[in-house]
Amino acid sequence: MRILGSPRGARRALRSVAVAAAGAVALAACGSSGSNSGSSSSGGGSTSSGPTYTIAYEGPLSGGNSQLGIYQKFAVQLAINNANAGTTFGKLPFKLKFLPEDDQGSGTQAPTAAQAVIGDNSVMAVVGPAFSGASKAADPLYNQAGIAIVTPSATDPTLQTHGWNNFFRVVADDNAQGPADADYLAKGLKVSSVYAIDDASAYAQGLVGAFDTQATSDGLKVTHETAPGTTQCQAGTGNVQQYGALATKIKSSGAQSVFYAGYYCDFALVAKALNGAGFTGKLLSDDGSESDSFVTQAGSSVAQGVLASCACQDITKNSAAASFVSGYKKLANGDPGLYSGEAYDATNAIISVMKGIGSNVTRSAVISGLHSVNYQGLTKTIQFQSNGNISGTAVYIYKVEGAHMVQLGAVTSLIG
Amino acid sequence: MSAATVPASAGRGPAGWWAWARGVEGRRLVAWILSLLVLAVMTGPSGNNGSPTTGFTGSLLHPRVLVFVALGVAGWALSALRRSQGERLRRLNRSILALPQRAVADRRNRLLVYLVVLGVAIAYPLTLSGFWQQVLVDQIGIFVLLAMGLNVVVGYAGLLDLGYIAFYAIGAYSGAYWTGSLPVHPPFHLNPFWVIPLAIAAAMLAGLVLGAPTLRLRGDYLAIVTLGFGEIIQIAATNLQSVTGGAEGVSGIPHFSVHVGGLHYAWKLSNLPYYYLLLAFVVIALIAFHFLADSRVGRAFTAIREDEVAAEAVGINLLKYKVMAFAIGASTSGVAGLLSASKISFVSSEYFTVQLSILVLVLVIFGGMGSLPGAVAGAAFLQWVPQILRQHPLFGYQPQDLYIYLGALLVVMMIFRPEGMLPSRRRRRELALAERGIGTADAMSGSSDPAVGP
Amino acid sequence: MCFTHNFWNLTVQGLSDGFLYALIALGYTLVYGVLQLINFAHSEVFMSGGFAGYFVLNTLIGPRPPHGAGSVGTVVAGIAAGAAAGGAVAFLLERVAYRPLRRRNAPRLAFLISAIGASFFLYNLAGKEFGRNSVSIPEPFNLSTRVFSLFGAEVQTYEVLIAVSAVVMLVLLDRLVATTRLGRGIRAVAQDADTAALMGVDIDRVISNTFVIGGLLGGAAGFLFGLSSGVVYTMGFTPGLKAFTAAVLGGIGNIRGAVVGGLVLGVVENWGVSCVQSSWRDVIAFGILVLVLMFRPTGILGERLGRSA
Repeated sequence: MRILGSPRGARRALRSVAVAAAGAVALAACGSSGSNSGSSSSGGGSTSSGPTYTIAYEGPLSGGNSQLGIYQKFAVQLAINNANAGTTFGKLPFKLKFLPEDDQGSGTQAPTAAQAVIGDNSVMAVVGPAFSGASKAADPLYNQAGIAIVTPSATDPTLQTHGWNNFFRVVADDNAQGPADADYLAKGLKVSSVYAIDDASAYAQGLVGAFDTQATSDGLKVTHETAPGTTQCQAGTGNVQQYGALATKIKSSGAQSVFYAGYYCDFALVAKALNGAGFTGKLLSDDGSESDSFVTQAGSSVAQGVLASCACQDITKNSAAASFVSGYKKLANGDPGLYSGEAYDATNAIISVMKGIGSNVTRSAVISGLHSVNYQGLTKTIQFQSNGNISGTAVYIYKVEGAHMVQLGAVTSLIG
Repeated sequence: MSAATVPASAGRGPAGWWAWARGVEGRRLVAWILSLLVLAVMTGPSGNNGSPTTGFTGSLLHPRVLVFVALGVAGWALSALRRSQGERLRRLNRSILALPQRAVADRRNRLLVYLVVLGVAIAYPLTLSGFWQQVLVDQIGIFVLLAMGLNVVVGYAGLLDLGYIAFYAIGAYSGAYWTGSLPVHPPFHLNPFWVIPLAIAAAMLAGLVLGAPTLRLRGDYLAIVTLGFGEIIQIAATNLQSVTGGAEGVSGIPHFSVHVGGLHYAWKLSNLPYYYLLLAFVVIALIAFHFLADSRVGRAFTAIREDEVAAEAVGINLLKYKVMAFAIGASTSGVAGLLSASKISFVSSEYFTVQLSILVLVLVIFGGMGSLPGAVAGAAFLQWVPQILRQHPLFGYQPQDLYIYLGALLVVMMIFRPEGMLPSRRRRRELALAERGIGTADAMSGSSDPAVGP
Repeated sequence: MCFTHNFWNLTVQGLSDGFLYALIALGYTLVYGVLQLINFAHSEVFMSGGFAGYFVLNTLIGPRPPHGAGSVGTVVAGIAAGAAAGGAVAFLLERVAYRPLRRRNAPRLAFLISAIGASFFLYNLAGKEFGRNSVSIPEPFNLSTRVFSLFGAEVQTYEVLIAVSAVVMLVLLDRLVATTRLGRGIRAVAQDADTAALMGVDIDRVISNTFVIGGLLGGAAGFLFGLSSGVVYTMGFTPGLKAFTAAVLGGIGNIRGAVVGGLVLGVVENWGVSCVQSSWRDVIAFGILVLVLMFRPTGILGERLGRSA
């Protein structure tokens, strides 16, 4: 029978069996211990006792987008450490462990990361997934498993439309920031035309779509273009040379303002190119550019007066946040970054709910607790609408003055 | 190497040692130690742009470097030992394998072996945790299918395709389209099961469109052109957001379900049903490619891979068979894309990167180009390792450094084991002959005119 | 036509991009000439030049930017650092990834795969050691000051810098290949390696030196590119691919072809972007690659290193 192949083929098959068997044995060793997986760490101090529960974080810890994940991961870890030490909530009736899981920000890796979390029975809630794409892929699994997911950064507005009762989000979604930016340009700065650019990332495409719609209805003349960027200023093969030609195009279009949906390193290049082309209009970008790194990369002279928006408040000016910032610096050996504050608040909101439940915490109790939570966090008051979206969607405008991004105020107050 | 051999009577004073160090063995020792030092840096701490040297100093100016130097010396000693005892070891090897080899020469035993493997493949996953079942489907299963498909293109026909993920994307988007999940709607909605032939057709068509104009090119150029095409597909998918959903992606692609006659079954979120579906596809592909390798078409592929000029001289229509190889590989990739899209229920252009195409290539090369068990086992192994390291972090490995290891693996494999870990006998013979100067072991050497082949 | 109303602006930018492509393309073309090998990892040579320039300028330039002679000095230091790093990486590449394969008479495919592996290894290692964020190189002088006007287009100091550096390097290369012994060796090996060996040319040394020369140029280009666009560990991929397109466009193996190809590609790309969306820019370049390989695979200038130069 030809199907059996030749003796040669069988010898190869023998070898494959050997390899497979070795792999299977190893898998068995780990498959059974899969539920005790992950690099969990408990916080310092031992003022809590009782059962041990885990709060997980799912986000990009490796790959091109890891910086964003790292900012959030350390914030979550800090919150857990502080809670265990009793500084945030006093003595807790349980101990908390931290389980970070890496999904590389990718929709295809996310289900695997989610399964790793779900498989750990001590996990009571998840902060994350950080990215919208990963959320779309992983949230159905979390929903099936009945674990609360509190995302600090996945702003895709379709996420709250699936009727998942375990979905919560502590930032305003794209439907808030985009239109707010459009309103600010039209009614606050009173320009009549805008050149809207997105960096071809999932985040930017969603944001700029919402922006375009509102800008048009505000009466602005909108020209839209996609200019692929380097994706969160890391991996990605964005074409940095394109901005020269793009700036020339923008200058000759006569647009009075430019809205850039993307991240600070690409926005810095855009700003430099526009400056070189002699563009004198207003530049506004989103929370991805709301960073002092933008000033460093664009150069101080180019960056002066450039604007950015964020559905977040400047926590470094917030005195209550000073201890967060110093604690983060000690833990992470670096400064907190984008969405660190939001991740910290998300974790604390979860812990406050768990404290309210007592020592007998269950996944479903956490979900119902979150639906009625009212926790004063660093960035905002954490309270959720029935679909999981955060209540209150203030968007703030920042402006470069000197070497920093300085908060001007909320859009609603700026447009009067 | 052009080093002069050191006469055995070389003195053992300082001059003698220096001569020895510059000789073959000395150089090998240095090479071993240097390689292990590189490994020390790879597994060492990371730096950042404020302090670029901390990674290096932390890895090398640190007691742990001694471990690596010791390993380097040990490796050199072992390889020297192997070289001197080579013949004895080979005989030992052959005698150990003699019994099992005789056992499988018997057809009935072979059938038993295959059935045992199949049985393990069916039963074992039932004992695994949810996480490992997920890995088995998403990470291992899909990539095994991809590796088998690329193996036909690169391994059987010798065509280096660096844009292979483009066909995967086409399969995924076909699935999204025909089930009505894309912003543009199809004339009628289909169950993902019935999309399979459509996905295959779309991928094959793409393979044809890509292949027909470019397969006349020489190997290197073909590789770069396929790379360019892969990039073009990804850029187009991102830019044409109103058609494909762009980088944001589309979700809600329905899972597989069957409603035929009295048979009703719906795949949902859980992994096992998808695993068995995937296993069925893998087995079908295994049988199909196995027949392919020994068939007339397969022999044509082999001829093209070994020596295009001779193949053409014998009357093989190069273009026809190359396009066929491309189409077969493309359709396998398309099916994998469809399966993946339907399982995860989400498709986004951000995923279809060149890096992913190259990853599949690494899987095939590692297992052994042209070897079907090699492609399967190699892909399964290389996809399994990062997951196990994720659960049990080892010795300085960090997940974001994975590609450093893969890159080094490729270079090392090309130097020391280009035929792969589970090579096909024929391929190993090709390479051995080439090393001795007979034949060239691939279709890419010869004239340097990029358009005309060799 | 869509690009006519910004014609000179776009052309100036295109030439500026084009010179950078040309410098990188020369690395591909030189190696191809002597080895008939596409050095896929040349993009990492480019990247290492960018990082070297970044580190050097970071050290040299304090909080206050330099003026006059100080500016020129830092620029030269940056170019030198970039070139040195590029040359070193290219040398190592040849020694570690290609020479062992040459010894074994490995098939072409093995070289290409080894190149891909080396490329992966190098840029991911750079990401690990130097950080994965993009960084900008401190400016040695104001790069966007207008130097002069060309038919209404503003030519900035950055563009002048690129043009001057590129021309100087190209002239040096041309002289090297035409007059020196090494240059004769390169042309001989490119024409017929076996005969060259018989005539007493040390093949290994010529090949190694060819890699180094290509590396010097590519590394310098990395620094110049990084000056305006910042440095990040993945910066090599797209410019590398486009530079290869430029080399093919001009005629692979032909030095002057690489220059012509680079300039033409840069200009056509910039014109193209004004006609279509910026996001299709790379498609223009890859489209050119495919079309050239299909219809005129020998490129614009068509002749090889051995015969022309």
